[in-house]
Amino acid sequence: MPLKTLKKETAETLTLEWILHVKNYRLTLNKNFCVGCEICSLACPKEAIKLEKLPKSTNGKAQHAKVDINLEKCNFCGICDVMCPFGAIKVTVNNEHVLNVIEKESFPQLIRDVQINSANCAPECVDCEKACPLNLIKISYIKPDGRFVEDLKSLTTLEREWLRVDVNVDKEHCPCCRICEFKCPKGLIHVRKIFYGRMKINPEKCPEGCKDCLDVCPISGALYLSEADKKVHVNELFCVYCGACKAICPVNGALELKRTRIMHAPVRSGAWNKALERLTSPLETSKELKAKSSQKAVDVVERRLKWKEVVV
Amino acid sequence: MTQTPPQTQSWEKPGELRIGVFICHCGLNIAGVIDIKELVEFAKTLPDVVYVKDNRYTCADPGQDEIRKAIKEYKLNRVVVAACSPRMHEVTFRRTVSDAGLNPYLFEMANIREFSSWCHPSTPKEATEKAKDLIKMAVAKARLLIPLQTIEVPVTNKALVIGGGIAGINAALDLAEMGFKVYLLEKSESIGGHMAQLDKTFPTLDCSICIEGPKMVDVGRHPNIEIISYADLISVSGYIGNFRVKIRKNPRYVKAENCTGCGECKDVCPIEYPNDWDMDLGVRKAISVPFDQAVPLLYTINKDYCIECFKCVDACGERRAIDFEQKPEDIELEVGAIIVATGYDIYLPYDNSLYGYGKYTNVITSLEFERLILAAGPTGGKVLRASDGKKPHSVAFIQCVGSRDINKYPYCSNFCCMYTLKHVVQLKEKYKDDVEVYVFYMDMRTNFKGFEEFYQRARELGVNFIRGRVSRITEIPGTKNLVIHAEDANLGMPIEIEAEMVVLATAAIPKKGADEVARILNLTRGADGFFMESHPKLKPLDSPTDGIFLAGACQGPKDIPYSVSQGCGAAARAATILSKQKWKIEPIIAVVDPVKCRNVTVKCGICAERCPYGAIKVAEKQPAQVITAMCHGCGTCVAECPADAIQQMHFTDAQILAQLRAALEKDPEDKILAFLCNWCSYAGADLAGTSRFEYPPVIRPIRVMCSGRVDRDFVLEAFRLGAGMVLVAACHLPYDCHYISGNWKMKARMEALAPMLHKLGLSPERFRVEYISAAEGIKFAELIKEMAEQMQALGRERIKAENEKLRPVLENMLKRKEKR
Repeated sequence: MPLKTLKKETAETLTLEWILHVKNYRLTLNKNFCVGCEICSLACPKEAIKLEKLPKSTNGKAQHAKVDINLEKCNFCGICDVMCPFGAIKVTVNNEHVLNVIEKESFPQLIRDVQINSANCAPECVDCEKACPLNLIKISYIKPDGRFVEDLKSLTTLEREWLRVDVNVDKEHCPCCRICEFKCPKGLIHVRKIFYGRMKINPEKCPEGCKDCLDVCPISGALYLSEADKKVHVNELFCVYCGACKAICPVNGALELKRTRIMHAPVRSGAWNKALERLTSPLETSKELKAKSSQKAVDVVERRLKWKEVVV
Repeated sequence: MTQTPPQTQSWEKPGELRIGVFICHCGLNIAGVIDIKELVEFAKTLPDVVYVKDNRYTCADPGQDEIRKAIKEYKLNRVVVAACSPRMHEVTFRRTVSDAGLNPYLFEMANIREFSSWCHPSTPKEATEKAKDLIKMAVAKARLLIPLQTIEVPVTNKALVIGGGIAGINAALDLAEMGFKVYLLEKSESIGGHMAQLDKTFPTLDCSICIEGPKMVDVGRHPNIEIISYADLISVSGYIGNFRVKIRKNPRYVKAENCTGCGECKDVCPIEYPNDWDMDLGVRKAISVPFDQAVPLLYTINKDYCIECFKCVDACGERRAIDFEQKPEDIELEVGAIIVATGYDIYLPYDNSLYGYGKYTNVITSLEFERLILAAGPTGGKVLRASDGKKPHSVAFIQCVGSRDINKYPYCSNFCCMYTLKHVVQLKEKYKDDVEVYVFYMDMRTNFKGFEEFYQRARELGVNFIRGRVSRITEIPGTKNLVIHAEDANLGMPIEIEAEMVVLATAAIPKKGADEVARILNLTRGADGFFMESHPKLKPLDSPTDGIFLAGACQGPKDIPYSVSQGCGAAARAATILSKQKWKIEPIIAVVDPVKCRNVTVKCGICAERCPYGAIKVAEKQPAQVITAMCHGCGTCVAECPADAIQQMHFTDAQILAQLRAALEKDPEDKILAFLCNWCSYAGADLAGTSRFEYPPVIRPIRVMCSGRVDRDFVLEAFRLGAGMVLVAACHLPYDCHYISGNWKMKARMEALAPMLHKLGLSPERFRVEYISAAEGIKFAELIKEMAEQMQALGRERIKAENEKLRPVLENMLKRKEKR
């Protein structure tokens, strides 16, 4: 069968496909998870992903940018899959979620560091579940026999005391905003962000009455409308530096977003360096490379000393 | 290389002309019809003729001796032989006069056998009159002949072979074995061509790469062969023996000198993309070789897909073969001969909805089937359906998809019958009775050694051969099986057959980019788009451009042994040039008079534009220059030049006009003046003579090398002198012209002239342009008969009256020209 290349778009998904006689490559963008941030478009090594601003919806709210992927340029490498902080993109080969770039260590996995000490959870506290802006946390209770509780109210108080709390975070789609960490009354959650950076809204340039960024921000609480000046302000504590706001901001320079670090597994990869440079800045990239090379130097020296010790 | 008019000194000061005329009896062939005595007496009366002699057989040794003796004894400086056709013995007599110390181009022939005695046997008197005219015309031309020297050009003893398929490989190997340096240019990453894609070869079922692989390795190792792969041909200039070739090497991003072909880079590369060498059935890595046996075994990075993770750089390590900064590199080669072996492509019938290719998952082409059944292919040699990955239990093969189809490719693609037989035999031998095989065919063409036996073998294996054309294929939605709707010609009724897989034997078509190669090398392409050979029978390997040869399927679909033979043959043809230090060129070429050339004052360049060979270079404010070695001597530029600044040696305006005036000196109203091109029409007229087709003796033929040489002034002058009729005969359109397109140039010129003459009162039938091939003796005879009848119908008086009316206008036109 000759090679077939397909691009299909529905309300829910955008699908790109290479169908070969013996292999099938598929990229699926799940629009339910996509927030229109700029990460994939910056990470893509083939510049195949473009963001498209959409007109305001009928209720007057701004819509997040639409992600469009060019079938001619896409090579199904899966870097967008790896990099999407919201886990909206999946690349499969023969219907299996295979990421060659990760397997061949050509690209690092993002580190999603979310630790929950659920053993000490307050009984029946669901603060984190409620707080998660993306509804990724599920709290469930486990009976001593290991079975999940279906209906908490049917249990007696005594029975409830024996229950174990299980807090399940859908890490695949978690952008690590830290809201749950702050909302946990007992401080049992520890989250490290994926992206670090600086985000600033320039009050002089920010047009009055516009709150488009607030409309599209996927993390409720990262941006807020100030009562004082009627303008949008940033709460950097929760900002994930995804850039969904930047993608639709109507005024150039009103919104300043700089990523400085990205938490990732250690790899040596030119593709990563390029992606890093586009996502942060050449300066930050050179910092990371320097850090890596000095680490390498340390490793080398250590190895040599070790060798010496053995010889001596 | 350019040349000024040669030996002008003897031309301008001819001194005393001493012409010898030798009239041949040719046994009774001439003497049986024509009164030789009368001819002899007549010849003596012609100006500057000092010696006339008749022989029984002039071409025999005694006859030739007489010529040689007479040249010395009577100090002859021009020789005319009135005998057979110059196409027969011109070369012989040129050698004869040359032996006697005379320049061979001071010889002229009058064709009184084919053009007179043989075609007018029942009118001996008129035949004799015609012979007299022919001799008079020859003497008139002879008086103006000038000595010419054969031109010699140096030869670069290196060759370029374009295309590294099986034809190119054999051409390169043979030339290299003869000791010539060969550059083998290949567009893709590896040599091997289509043969390297195949599983087995018919009818022997040898493994294709097993027999081609060693040859490829030989090419890679041969000290005389330099493979230039992954490179494009940019331009070719120069001429036979002296071509300058520009080539662009595309960047592989891998240094050839450092790459060991170990493949460690491929193992770490994370990126895969469809392998077009596998017909996109499988994938290859972003750094890879298209197939394991590639020669040169040199990895290539496809930057369209590479994400530049540099894992390959790490894997390559100390070898440091990978260089992401590589740029395209232009190189220039000098070669003496070029062999074009660019091959063919396979038609992908996306545009034919009847077969459902590209629409139905289980419809594939034969080349895709080839990759499926190949053990090293993407499925490991298993024939699997794309829809469910299962082995099909019934396979239908459909022949002539695109081929022998007047709406697509009318020609037969030559090897499809055989490769389908190979596929069905392979399939049957592999899966035995587990697979039912159908072949839908129009005709089974199995016409070479062992082919018919192979067909028999397929039939014995129980393959169902159904003679009939397929009307359409439909898919059954659930099973994705296919229903073939066809007509069974043997049953004479429509049939429907369900198959789990359909294999289309699609046409072989001209290689993508053949037009570009044709443009660069000045090759002609036939109606089918394949390159045209110089002559379909006798020069099957030569292109119209000297020094450039064709081999393999670029000239038409060919199987492997045929392509191999052609590769070897083309190598032998190229060696005829490469083995020489100097190459001789006949001096019948165009020469520009720099003083007359208009281009010095105004922008002209018509000659360069009309030259079929690109042999004329025109720089601004410079007189046009003819590249001697590229000029084929058709004379088209001479006729086209608006300033009459170009002359064709041996066919100058003065010489042709002298012939024309001699022919029309007496009773012009009764004569048809004919311009016949040497290769087709003159040969056709010769054939009329040798076939003894009789026609009225009213025609006075003038030989030109190409109809493109026929200047409109010749026609005007003929009518000014009162000619009854004028005929210009050429090779057939569109492709028969031996000078590529001289006949087209003539056609355009005469089509502009004819209406003007009609307007001036010339009866349309008095000026004819006809196309007569060398095989159409009967057509020539019929044509002259028809014209003679028309001339008679018009009547002498009417012709005379028309001429009277025409003359002042024509005189005016010709005078105006002379002034300039």
